[in-house]
Amino acid sequence: MKLTDYIRDRGTLLLLHLVCMCAAAAFFSMTGYSETNTVLILLLWLLVLAAWLITTFLQKRKFFRAAQQILEKVDQRYLLGELLPDSFYLEDRLYRDMILRSNKQCIERIRQMEDEQRAYREYMESWVHEIKAPITGISLLCDNRRNAAVSLPEKGPGKEEDYLSIGLENQKIENYVDMVLYYARSDQLYKDYLIRKTCLEDAVYQVLDKNRLLLIQNRVQIRVDCKETVYTDEKWIAFILNQILLNSVKYRSETPLFRIRADRDENGVTLLCEDNGIGIRQEDLPRIFDKGFTGSNGRDHRRSTGMGLYLCHRLCERLGIKLWAESEYAAGTKLYLRFPVNSYIRDARED
Amino acid sequence: MHIFIIEDEPLIRRELKILLENALYQVTAPDTFHCVIRQVLDIRPDLVLLDINLPELSGFEICTRLRQQMDIPVIFLTSRSNSMDELSGLLMGGDDYITKPYQAPVLLARIAAVLKRTGNTKSRETTLFTKGNVWLDIAKCCLSHGERSVELTKNEMKILHRLFREPGVFVSRMDLIEYLWENRIFIDDNTLSVHVAKLREKLKSIGVQDFIETRRGMGYRI
Repeated sequence: MKLTDYIRDRGTLLLLHLVCMCAAAAFFSMTGYSETNTVLILLLWLLVLAAWLITTFLQKRKFFRAAQQILEKVDQRYLLGELLPDSFYLEDRLYRDMILRSNKQCIERIRQMEDEQRAYREYMESWVHEIKAPITGISLLCDNRRNAAVSLPEKGPGKEEDYLSIGLENQKIENYVDMVLYYARSDQLYKDYLIRKTCLEDAVYQVLDKNRLLLIQNRVQIRVDCKETVYTDEKWIAFILNQILLNSVKYRSETPLFRIRADRDENGVTLLCEDNGIGIRQEDLPRIFDKGFTGSNGRDHRRSTGMGLYLCHRLCERLGIKLWAESEYAAGTKLYLRFPVNSYIRDARED
Repeated sequence: MHIFIIEDEPLIRRELKILLENALYQVTAPDTFHCVIRQVLDIRPDLVLLDINLPELSGFEICTRLRQQMDIPVIFLTSRSNSMDELSGLLMGGDDYITKPYQAPVLLARIAAVLKRTGNTKSRETTLFTKGNVWLDIAKCCLSHGERSVELTKNEMKILHRLFREPGVFVSRMDLIEYLWENRIFIDDNTLSVHVAKLREKLKSIGVQDFIETRRGMGYRI
């Protein structure tokens, strides 16, 4: 708040004083009052006015500076109404009441939204857990019937393939359901993960086992070389790897190959997931982790939701893993996951 | 091996029973749960598969009460996949914790792993197979015919192992590949043909002709 701004703000008042001064001077000259006295009176008037202007300016400036400081210090700025300093001026007090009232409603709305969001997320979680029972049922049913069809092929030709297809579709449902679950969990408020010593190979095999039929059916060759252990949440990592693997299968080439390798250096472990699929165009590459981004690959394949890699990125952020991609169009894609060594853990080990 | 299933979803219970019976386990799967602890104590199974969300008692409670009276391996089967649930499952004395939806092979592998770890497996897997005059020695990883023998690679041995398990039966290529994948050998259709061709050559080198029979659309057999 500058003095000039303040004076400009008080323009009407100053104009009024000016008019009054002129009127007084005119009145004095008409009544034959001596000129020196008139000048003296006007000077005194100006002095008092200036003194009053400066004191009110200082008071106001102090008040607003205090308010400003509060705004900067507090992280929930909508609480300003509660924190404003007391003021002598009626205007300040009226504004303060208004801010209080409007913020009160705002806070109520925020609370309500938070409650609604929490309830929604809780319902989503329980729904996901409920839907998993029928998915399990279908999965077991298909496996059993498929095995029965293999041992008794005369019962009907093609039965085995049917059950295999149903099983694979069922797995797609399972993955979509998992994506919903992890979307809810990627929220900043959610703290359901367990950082443990995890062997990357176990997580990789878990994902490969899960997608065995899909991979065999698509004739994907796999190379695994990741003996390293890292500190992370195994389930989250398995989910992330699952998305990466499914992408590689979805955008595969004629002779698909999926390679996964872990390398350790002194600052951490880098996991490289590499495929020889159709790759990503250079112009799409910077945006593949954006929510809802499908790119030219997604549009050509029509099945993309633009959520898979976005979720991977968010979960990696939560786990403190750096995730980035390199790709050559029509040649393949490399996704890197970088697990930094926690300096605390490293120190503890050395001790 | 006797497995006791405590699961309230009728379809899953039925299919689990079929799956485990096909895998040659003896299975008991009751459809009411009010006296389930009594039943388990009477039957004394080798393993309990336990769902957590049950109508009358929670699975955690059943596990705790079972553990008070007898030492029996328990695997939790559940659709709850919360880390806290998993942790409390293991703290309650569960031997493993499998979240739904599970694939049949994964489930069987983990059941086998728990049974092996708890040391109740009596039958040891045979390491020597024979068909005609040809011997397959899993322990030494070699194939012999009369005096002559030849060493096998891991992949070749696994292929033969699968064929030797059911002599005279056609094993489809898909089944063979699945079996190899279960054993962490991730090969595709073409690579399988290459391995079989190499196996035939090795067989020829020890004087065995036409040992592996191929039939289009059916697969391989010995």
